[in-house]
Amino acid sequence: MTLIVLLLGLAVGVLVGLLGIGGGVVLVPALVYLLHMDQHLAQGTSLFILLPPVGLGALREYWKQGQVDLRAGILCAVGMLAGGYLGGMIAVPVASRHLKGLFGCFLILAAFLLWRKPQAENRLAAPAGGEPADG
Amino acid sequence: MGDTLPRDAGIFAAACLCGVASGLFGIGGGTLLVPFLALFFAFGQHRAQGTSLIALIPPTGALAFYAYARAGYVSWQVGLLLIPGVFVGGILGGWLAKRLQPRRMRQVFAVLMFALGTWQAVAAWTH
Repeated sequence: MTLIVLLLGLAVGVLVGLLGIGGGVVLVPALVYLLHMDQHLAQGTSLFILLPPVGLGALREYWKQGQVDLRAGILCAVGMLAGGYLGGMIAVPVASRHLKGLFGCFLILAAFLLWRKPQAENRLAAPAGGEPADG
Repeated sequence: MGDTLPRDAGIFAAACLCGVASGLFGIGGGTLLVPFLALFFAFGQHRAQGTSLIALIPPTGALAFYAYARAGYVSWQVGLLLIPGVFVGGILGGWLAKRLQPRRMRQVFAVLMFALGTWQAVAAWTH
């Protein structure tokens, strides 16, 4: 069990670094289908894993190239913190099957966004991140 | 200053919306934030990604996480076991991305995600 979870983390990390997709988009289905977690438990655990600043190494490269809008970044951080609490409060009382259905719809949207994601230039393909992740 | 305020307010509102999706679906939030900044606020792709990365440095999902943790919806053991793998895997994936063609793989993966999402929505609501 322990080994499976360790390997699962490794596989998720490779996909995130390789494709530049958000960790949660891969993590949540992996926890639901491979570890047979309930939808709520998978989402809560995914949020836990995403707490550490995993994008720090990639950010350094963007910062050096002047590709960071600090003012907008701070606004986004505050907005997402507040919105996140609201989203969490909405999700918790929702029945698991409805949450699962809604997550399915979100995956479809994420699939479209991934399909049309522009190719990152090599000079910005970050050292630790390769294809920059969207979070 | 004259026209930065409406822009700031717009970015803040968009970020709130991304935050709601983040809390609702247990994701990081950048998946939506990057296209939002690019489409509605005329950010170039790199600037959108760089700005999204700095927005995600503080634990922006902390309050959403708190809402789940309070309801008992966090598996600490699995979470702690996954973190080292995700970290090492991320470095490995970045290394691979420079040697392979991520664009083609992204499209293959997008098709998989579309199929999985459709199947999950149908399975959840049809019995």
